[in-house]
Amino acid sequence: MNDVRVAAAQVGYEQKAYWRNPMAAIFTFAFPIIFLLVVGGSAGPSRVPGYTLRYDQYVVVAMLAFGLIAACYTNLAMVVCTRRDSGVLKRMRGTPIAVGSYIAGLIGSVLIVVAILTVIVVSLGIAFYDLHFPYHPLAVVVTLFVGIVTFCALGLAVTILVPNADAAPAIINGLYFPVVFISGVFYPLAQGSVLARIADWFPIFHMIRALVSAFEGGPGSGLRPGDLAVMAVWAVAALVFSARRFRWEPRRPNA
Amino acid sequence: MAPESDDTRSAGAGTDSEVPARADDAPVPRSAGPRPSVPRSAGPRPTVSQPAAHGPDAELAVRVVGLTKSYGSFVALRGIDLEVRRGEVLALLGPNGAGKTTAVEILEGYRNRDAGDVSVLGHDPARRERSLRERVGMVLQECAVDPYLTVAEALTQRAGLYRAPRGVDEVVGLVGLEAKAGSRVKTLSGGQQRRLDLGLALIGDPELIFLDEPTTGFDPSARREAWDVVRDLCAEGRTVVLTTHYMDEAQALADSVVVLAGGRVVASGPPDTLGGRDQGMSTVRFVPPDGVTLADLPLPEGVEARLRAGFVEFAVPEPTAALHALTRWALGRGEGLSGLAVERPSLEDVYLSLTGDPPASSGEAR
Repeated sequence: MNDVRVAAAQVGYEQKAYWRNPMAAIFTFAFPIIFLLVVGGSAGPSRVPGYTLRYDQYVVVAMLAFGLIAACYTNLAMVVCTRRDSGVLKRMRGTPIAVGSYIAGLIGSVLIVVAILTVIVVSLGIAFYDLHFPYHPLAVVVTLFVGIVTFCALGLAVTILVPNADAAPAIINGLYFPVVFISGVFYPLAQGSVLARIADWFPIFHMIRALVSAFEGGPGSGLRPGDLAVMAVWAVAALVFSARRFRWEPRRPNA
Repeated sequence: MAPESDDTRSAGAGTDSEVPARADDAPVPRSAGPRPSVPRSAGPRPTVSQPAAHGPDAELAVRVVGLTKSYGSFVALRGIDLEVRRGEVLALLGPNGAGKTTAVEILEGYRNRDAGDVSVLGHDPARRERSLRERVGMVLQECAVDPYLTVAEALTQRAGLYRAPRGVDEVVGLVGLEAKAGSRVKTLSGGQQRRLDLGLALIGDPELIFLDEPTTGFDPSARREAWDVVRDLCAEGRTVVLTTHYMDEAQALADSVVVLAGGRVVASGPPDTLGGRDQGMSTVRFVPPDGVTLADLPLPEGVEARLRAGFVEFAVPEPTAALHALTRWALGRGEGLSGLAVERPSLEDVYLSLTGDPPASSGEAR
């Protein structure tokens, strides 16, 4: 059996399931786009301290990050927890499918979602907020890719902490909301502030800073290896944790 | 109730008959492609290839010796042995918490055993080899299908995972979901989802099928249809291991029954002789003709009859002679014996005496 072909077919089924479940699309698309239009539109042309982007342009990039996290971390974790509870994962494990093909199908579907999101958000930024087409498109792609890997890995890892689907939203969002609030998604962090120093430990802040850099017209490649490295450390830790402890069945007594 | 599977087949079985053999539109077509339908236990099975294995595994689909499993301090299986011959239906019976699901999940490769030898189609299921998963189908207790796919999509997806799957349309027909093929899974009723589940278990054309309580929640006609599907699977030479709480299901389908209680095998054998059922006493029962007292009846020596709810009842080890005397007596009087019945202990009676537990108590512990 051709694992690659199975993975490609899985991407198709995952896409069907994704677009037929409107709840998943709301946080990934509707929320970032509405926030972008409302907050970005009321922000005015003031510059963000420490960046060359204006505040409204910064919001465009931050919402791209927000949507990416919703698609990779939140949605992937919810899908895995729901399927684990309903027995879909267990049943899949009883078929000849390779684990890698199944996971690749999930992540391939997320890639498509993030690609569509990127096109929409960046187009809106260019149309309404004078956002320049990224000065470093390669850096945007690399940063998005590292972000997808990192937040998909975190999405898989967080399912290990979730005992059952009822507890899933509370745990998945409970871990992520505090970090998202202090990481400069909704407003830029004051450099050197207490929040910035806390956020420095988590991957969200680094993804935003790396993405902003890739959109800004500075010298060099636009890549921020230091930020990408922090994300990569989180990704590796999450993948190791997932590989060791991933559960195919919900936790239940005596099992 | 006879577990013979070929009684509804037309004489021309073996070909893809144009004319349905059954009048009703039961979703159990015999149009299983080129598979000839042969009576069970009738010589070589043409459809499921027999691997050229030697030793005991050539005859046996499943062999278990001394299987033990504990969850923490809870001992689920205390050393069970069982054998499933190729082409037979084995029913695992037992109260909740007896270890049925644990045993089946070890055979399916979902759980690791603590000790014992387990062979499934010649493989150790704990190694989770893909070549074994290609040959095994399963229905788990949970109905496990992505709710946003349609019936046809779910089957097509699953078919793509196997080297030589059955046709999607064929399986849709097999489980009677033709009218629902384009519907999303979440719009199906519970029974329809369960049937789709069965279809998903069959899509890979498995040699061995595990069915964990496959008809729980079915209405009576859906259960009969599911039974027909199982019989057809056997007619094709496949092996079925099922767990059930329904004694009539075991009686109707199983070639062989294993009763688990407290993690042990407490009885095993064909359903008709399980636990000495065929050796038990037969009860003869009838309504006595008007004006007849117990003393007037021609009963065998030493047999005590009693009156219960308007019926005369007596128990004998072997009823032939007693019935002969009784019916001759009645005919001699020019009367019939209304409500005449001879009953052997039911499988449920035997089961209850073996397990000391009602067959469908609540609270599944695994």
